[in-house]
Amino acid sequence: MRTMHPSIMIGSYGWEQDRVPRDEFQIRLDALHALMDRQGLAAVLVYGDAREHAALAWFANFIPRMRWAMALFPRKGEPRLLTSMSPRDVPAMRQMTWIPDVMSGWNWESAFDPWLAKLGGEDPAGIGSIGFDLMRPPLMQSLQKSLGNRFRLQAVDGEVLALRSTRPRELSLIREACKVVEAGAVTMRNAWRGGLGNEAAALEGERVARAMAAQDVRTLVSFDRGRTLSPFRGSFDARAEPFLGYIAVKHMGYWAELFVSEADQAGKPAGAAKAGLSALLQAFETGASAGVLHRRAIDALGPSPLHPVLGGSVGRRMGVSPAEGGELGAGSMHTLVHGHVYGLHVGTADEQSGAIASAMIMLSAAGYDVLVRSPDM
Amino acid sequence: MSIYETRLAATAQHLRDEGLDALVALNFGQNSFLESHAVFVLAGVRPIGESAVVVDRDGGSTLIVTPAWDGERAAALSRTARTVGADDLPAALEKALAARPIDPRKTLTVGLSTLGLDLARRVEAALGGKARADDNYARKLARIRAPEELAAARKATEIAERGYEHFLKFVRRGLREFELAAELYCFMKGLGAEDNFLLLSASQHNLAVTAAGRRLLDVGDIILSEITPCYQGQFAQICRTTVIGETTKVQRDKYALLQEAMRRGQAAAVPGASVREVTNAMDDCLRAAGYGDYCRPPYMRVRGHGLGITSDLPGDLTVDSDGRLEDGMVFVMHPNQYIPETGYLMCGEPVVITSVGAQALSSRMAELDSIAV
Repeated sequence: MRTMHPSIMIGSYGWEQDRVPRDEFQIRLDALHALMDRQGLAAVLVYGDAREHAALAWFANFIPRMRWAMALFPRKGEPRLLTSMSPRDVPAMRQMTWIPDVMSGWNWESAFDPWLAKLGGEDPAGIGSIGFDLMRPPLMQSLQKSLGNRFRLQAVDGEVLALRSTRPRELSLIREACKVVEAGAVTMRNAWRGGLGNEAAALEGERVARAMAAQDVRTLVSFDRGRTLSPFRGSFDARAEPFLGYIAVKHMGYWAELFVSEADQAGKPAGAAKAGLSALLQAFETGASAGVLHRRAIDALGPSPLHPVLGGSVGRRMGVSPAEGGELGAGSMHTLVHGHVYGLHVGTADEQSGAIASAMIMLSAAGYDVLVRSPDM
Repeated sequence: MSIYETRLAATAQHLRDEGLDALVALNFGQNSFLESHAVFVLAGVRPIGESAVVVDRDGGSTLIVTPAWDGERAAALSRTARTVGADDLPAALEKALAARPIDPRKTLTVGLSTLGLDLARRVEAALGGKARADDNYARKLARIRAPEELAAARKATEIAERGYEHFLKFVRRGLREFELAAELYCFMKGLGAEDNFLLLSASQHNLAVTAAGRRLLDVGDIILSEITPCYQGQFAQICRTTVIGETTKVQRDKYALLQEAMRRGQAAAVPGASVREVTNAMDDCLRAAGYGDYCRPPYMRVRGHGLGITSDLPGDLTVDSDGRLEDGMVFVMHPNQYIPETGYLMCGEPVVITSVGAQALSSRMAELDSIAV
């Protein structure tokens, strides 16, 4: 789900070494080194910003609270992390990553060029890039000036995404994120049931999630009985029934999400949403076609259209990003691979109201685990 | 007529004056409290995703927001003539441009350099690769707050002050930094703050303020906070220093130095004054006390700065700035400073420039506060 991005992420983002120790990152780095060897790359540059930083978080444990950061991983030698923060802020940035060498990216030439010079060699060399589509043009110009003609950039986003299967420690962290989002969702539902306005109920859910150490919380609520969703409006007293809300949390670097649909009387959209999610789960297995899964969910909705806020998708992979790819859409050609976590959501809206049912699923070789699902769904 | 309609009309006039056909303002879906948001400046809407406003020389205007499902909300808020919800911004932009007799060579872009490379390239392609850029247009256009914006900035300041009052009641030893930040954030959201650039950290000897971590607060900790709620697109920031337990005489004496620097900065900040002069007025106070060597990074960063998302002018308050202050500019002034005897201390208020100097929007100037234990 697209949500309003905050000016800064306020949660605690320190590197929790007991949960994601250094050896875990060594395994990931080894995989990156193997990729460099296969592709003949001298280094890989991993870029991320406050909005999208999945690869940066996975390899460096670094999540930019604002602006951007770039991890520089050479095949031989030591990595360096550049952050778009002032030199004064660098000591605090060091607490957020396993990479010891952290520098301000504001002094580009003194931070990047000496590191690049250490790559050595006289012949033209390849450097892999990740996330560069998100980079602002002025920074790209500085980078290209530094690289000159001796280095050629080669995007390896797809290859790296394939490396990032969900590791056991990651699954443990996602399970915890699911507990946090469930607590937030149940609080949201109960607060609305208790008589609070829609947005006030969402804020109660957010408060509970943040108190449980959520690093980021995004909420949306409907003011028109579930037909559409809205970011924060400040209309705490406004109460619409049926209730439709959304909450996503990031906890220990991993995202989890749920929709909350509530009504005093079960309406047609709510029934269709439950049927759609149920049909999707029945067909959900390793090797299943994403396009076929989408069709199963749509068929279960009957004549009702898929809820417009879902953008034509009934699910996608989730992890260090709320959208890791693997969309379950009408035109999706891929098949499901075990080891991934999916956020699933099916719902519909008509002229009067709307509802969405959702769940977080871990796909295994033997089947799947439901990590969490919408309250009362 | 709202300020947004005034700005749209001024933009159309600017296009006619410059012999241009259209202006395309862009945003990447970011709400940076240190940058101008060109789409918000013109349309009065904070879209969820990537967005654009097209203004033509005849006064026509179109807001394009992503994702498509946000279109209905945006249309209700926007002051543009048309609003379009889309999932593909460049495609929707191309369509909007094609609907008007616009020559790409006579088109001005604002904010193109703030987009990601991929999106920037696609937008450039939609514009035929011929548009010229003026990334300063929106920040200049909105550099003086309109009455309704100043009212919203005052409301944001009130939320910040009420948030800090709540902070003083809520904080206690044994609480973690992030728990305090979470409570403060949600409390201010409950007062109407749609966003909050909140930094909050503690130490017995701070080097700077940072975002909240897992530190357990305890007696003797000095909590630094930059409380920055946003109300209707107006960020306002107060900088506060809070000691758990009794304050010491040296802490009080050094904090008084920052308060005096703040007063001198306010007095110097009259319309026409340079940012450099105002910065020096604050620095002189610290130099006179023997801290001249500390009036530079990493012991401080800036003496204040503009506040997005409307306009970040007058920019950073530094001795290197050539900027000049104008009546009605709003920014935060903060002579925050590392002092060897106490560590980093924070003291700052949002201010508006008036003929007699920088008037604080806050009702209570920063004091060195303490929490009884």
